Amino acid sequence: MMDNFKIIIKEYFTQILIGIGNTLLLALVGTVVGFFLALIFANLRILKIEKRDQLIVKILKKIGSTFSKIYVTVFRGTPMIVQAVIFYYSFHQFGLIWTPMQAGLFTVSLNTTAYLTEVIRGAIQSLDKGQMEAARSLGLSKTKAMIYIIIPQAVKNSMAPIGNEFIINIKDTAVLSIIQVFDLFSVMKSAAGTYYLYVESMLIAAAIYLILTLSTSMLLRYLEQKIGVPSKPLPSSN
Amino acid sequence: MKPLIRIEKLNKSFHNNQVLKNIDLNIYEGEVVCIIGASGSGKSTLLRCINLLEEPDSGNIYFEDQNILDSQFNLNKLRTKIGMVFQSFNLFNNYNVLDNCLIGPTKVLGLSKKDAKEKAIYYLTKVGLENFVHQDVNSLSGGQKQRVAIARALTMEPRVMLFDEPTSALDPEMVGEVLSVMREVAKSRMTMVVVTHEMDFAREVATRVIYMDDGQIIEEGTPEQIFTKPQHPRTNEFLRRILER
Repeated sequence: MMDNFKIIIKEYFTQILIGIGNTLLLALVGTVVGFFLALIFANLRILKIEKRDQLIVKILKKIGSTFSKIYVTVFRGTPMIVQAVIFYYSFHQFGLIWTPMQAGLFTVSLNTTAYLTEVIRGAIQSLDKGQMEAARSLGLSKTKAMIYIIIPQAVKNSMAPIGNEFIINIKDTAVLSIIQVFDLFSVMKSAAGTYYLYVESMLIAAAIYLILTLSTSMLLRYLEQKIGVPSKPLPSSN
Repeated sequence: MKPLIRIEKLNKSFHNNQVLKNIDLNIYEGEVVCIIGASGSGKSTLLRCINLLEEPDSGNIYFEDQNILDSQFNLNKLRTKIGMVFQSFNLFNNYNVLDNCLIGPTKVLGLSKKDAKEKAIYYLTKVGLENFVHQDVNSLSGGQKQRVAIARALTMEPRVMLFDEPTSALDPEMVGEVLSVMREVAKSRMTMVVVTHEMDFAREVATRVIYMDDGQIIEEGTPEQIFTKPQHPRTNEFLRRILER
């Protein structure tokens, strides 16, 4: 049994490393892109039509928030493995040739966006409404209030769930092997096929995934503690 | 003399509950108007209508002779001229004391960091917090927080200051420090509208006291008139109840 492990690791060593790299890349890009898109989507989602708005503004707000709502519902309500296949092959049909990795990055980013949109929306809405009122009472526009007061606090409060999403992405990107993304799971699957050593290959995969998620979670906890330091002064006051 | 703020026939309902009923009120420059009344009488709502944190259902509000309910009216500019102090302080948790005071002047008035900082320090000194400028706001006591909130509003150099029950969320031993800062603000001839339960403060500092009940102004007059010989039986009843405690 030990020999089997040795063979797999020895023969597939470089490929395993590449697989780990790709898995981390997918998780990282997915989470970072997803975060920035989610900031936009969350803000679209909470657009509120006000009495003073002009008709065109009211219409645009309605479109924005409805779009965001549908987006989240669709992406959270369907499996990522299905999304990946649809994106990968439909783009091919439209004559746009992209690599499995590109399609994979695209899929995981859009998928993460949906989850983080809800996270950030929740964080924004759970802030005391006095924060917005105080900002508006100083004459800040709604946009400025969001940028300087609300979003910084909401993002800070979302750090834990965002980190969690990153860890989930490390594991869940395994489904992207369906479109031949060369991630850790793909590598181990091909090793399994080559040697007919399914259990051993997957035990190795499991061990590596566990190491990745554990170390990431430790790193995130460390970063959270660092960020958790109260009050970050504006660059203005030194 | 023309009033700084003119409120005409103001109505406001929340759902089916009418909280303001045909309110008429003028506020003149340099006045310190204290609004008293039981909770639920509509006094906070009236105050919050002045800077349009609440949008009235009908009526008119004029500030410097301009109708602020006109949909073309620039709300953000209006609010730079109206300082507001909240019951629950509402300091920005993501900034320290100084930056709380800087955000308005730099991001709204367009002041340079240097000028804004000079002003902020000036007002933070006025409220006695010059040694706390770089502190995290969450490390302050309630009284200190409210003083920062006052300094934050003053740094905008508004034409009028609104206080919405500024001492109601404070521990009793901290009420004094906030009231004494407010006294100082009043002495500087700032126009003030104060919703309060602090009758001693109203009696001492107000130039005019307004008693509200059930969404209406029942009675108004000098503190002398209101506190010593109220005309309306409801005013009398309210004062008796509150002063008995």
